Amino acid sequence: MHNHARQQIRRHSGHWQERLAAARRVGIVGVPPLEMIRFLNDRNMALLDLDAMLVKADLETASQLIPRVYCAILRTVVVNALHLDLDAIVVDVGPGKCDAAFHVAAILEESLEIPVIRAENRDNDNFGTPIARGRMPLLEKLLRITEGVKRVSPDPEPPLACEPTAGFWGVPPRDFSILELFPDTTHVYGWSRCMENKTPAAHELEAHVNTTVPTVFFAQSFCAKTALARYLAARHPRALYLDVDVHTTGSAKAKIEAFLELSGVAR
Amino acid sequence: MILGDFGTSYCKFLDTEHPGAEPEIVATKALTADLHVDLATGHNGKRFASRYVNELIALARGGEALIGEDSFLLLDCGSRDIKFVHYENGILKDMGWNAECGASMGFTIELLERYYDLDFRTLAVPTQTFSVTCGVLGMSHIFDAVISGIPVAEAVARFVKGIAINAYRFARSPKKIYLSGGLCDNPLFVASLPCEVIPLGRFVLLEGLTRSTVREGEDGGET
Repeated sequence: MHNHARQQIRRHSGHWQERLAAARRVGIVGVPPLEMIRFLNDRNMALLDLDAMLVKADLETASQLIPRVYCAILRTVVVNALHLDLDAIVVDVGPGKCDAAFHVAAILEESLEIPVIRAENRDNDNFGTPIARGRMPLLEKLLRITEGVKRVSPDPEPPLACEPTAGFWGVPPRDFSILELFPDTTHVYGWSRCMENKTPAAHELEAHVNTTVPTVFFAQSFCAKTALARYLAARHPRALYLDVDVHTTGSAKAKIEAFLELSGVAR
Repeated sequence: MILGDFGTSYCKFLDTEHPGAEPEIVATKALTADLHVDLATGHNGKRFASRYVNELIALARGGEALIGEDSFLLLDCGSRDIKFVHYENGILKDMGWNAECGASMGFTIELLERYYDLDFRTLAVPTQTFSVTCGVLGMSHIFDAVISGIPVAEAVARFVKGIAINAYRFARSPKKIYLSGGLCDNPLFVASLPCEVIPLGRFVLLEGLTRSTVREGEDGGET
C-alpha cells in the first residue's frame, strides 16, 4: 500500500483531479467518463476494472457491506474493493450504470480509507462497435470490450465484420463461461455494445436489437436491466430470456445450447 | 444402438436393433456403475453414455416426431424439473427449463402417494388449490391443512392441483398442452391442468433420441 500517497489523497476533498492526482492504482466501476480515463492514462495510473473477477476471495465477504441477495457484479465490485490494494475508486453512478452502483459507491466511500469518486458518464461521441459486429469467439469479444473501458481510443485491431447468425444482448456477465456456447458470428447488443461505443448511457443503442437473428437476452439477476431484457425478449420473434446469478447453472447452459440448435444456429 | 433417458427417479432404455420393442424402465437407484449406452439424455446421462443430447433438444425432437403439427407446446413434467418447448409455424417460439424453483415436483407427488397410501386414479380434482412453486416447500401446505382438519386425500389433491397450475403457468398458460413424462400416468395431475391436455407418455425424450440418430445419418454423422 502506498500510505503516503493515500494520505495525500485523503487530504483532498475537492475536485476529482486533485483527489486522483497522487493515485497509482485506481479501481473503476462501470464506464467512467472519457475525461477521467484520459486523466488516469496520461499519468500512467494502473486501472483495475472492479466489475471483473480480480481476486479469489469468497463472494460472501461482500455481505459485510451489502445484502447477500444483490447484483453479483456489484457484490464482485465490493469484494475487489475490500481485497485489492487501491489508492482510489471511480464509479459511474449516472444513467450509464445504475442506482445500485450509486448506493454501493456511497457505502464504499464510508467504509474505505481511500477516495471514492462518483462520476456521471454522459459521453455521447460514438466510437463505433466493430468488436460487437465482428467474427471472433464471443468470450474474447466481451473481454476486449470490457478491457476497452480503460482506454480512450477504439480497439486498435478489431475483428473483421461478419453477418450475424446469433445475438447476445445484455451486460457483460459475471460468469463468462456462458459465452463459450455461442458461435463466432454472434453479434453483441445491449449495454455491452454501448460499452464498446463508449456511450454507456445511450439507451436507444442499448435497446437496439436485430429481429432477424435468434438472440439470447441475458439478465444478470437483481440488475435493473432485467426488466429491459425481458421486455425486449417478449417482443423479439426468436428470443431466449435468461436470468443468471453468480454462476451459470447447467440448465442455463443447456437452454442456450438447445435454443441455438433448435433455432438452426450452427456453431 | 442403445438409447437411454436417464431421469432422476426412472431411466428409460430403447434398443434400436429391435424395432417395435417396448422401451424398458429401470429405477435410477438400481443402475450399476458399469452400465453404458450409445446415446443418452437426461440430467444423469453423461456418466453412462458415449454421446449425449441435452434434454431440451431431446424433448423438442421427440415433439417433432410425435406431434404432427407445426405449432405446439410440449411440456415435460419430470421427477426433478419441468421444461417446455413451444413451436409456432415450425419455428422455435419459446422454451423454458425450471430445475430450481420448480424442483422435485414429480418426485414429491410420488413420495406422497406412497407415504399416505393413496391412489391418484381415485381422487377427484379439488375445487381449491394450494399455491405451490416447489415440491419441497409445497409440502408444508399439506401438513398445515391436515392439522386444520382437512382429510389427507383432499390436502394432497390440492397440492397436486397446485403443482399442475404452477407447471401450466410456467408454460405461459397455453390453451393446449402436449404432456410428456411420468405424470402423464397420473390422472389427477392431468385433469388438474386448466387447459386441453394430450398426454404423450414417458418416452418422448427417447423418441427425440431416435430422431437425433436419424438426423445424424442425414447429416453424414455430424451432430
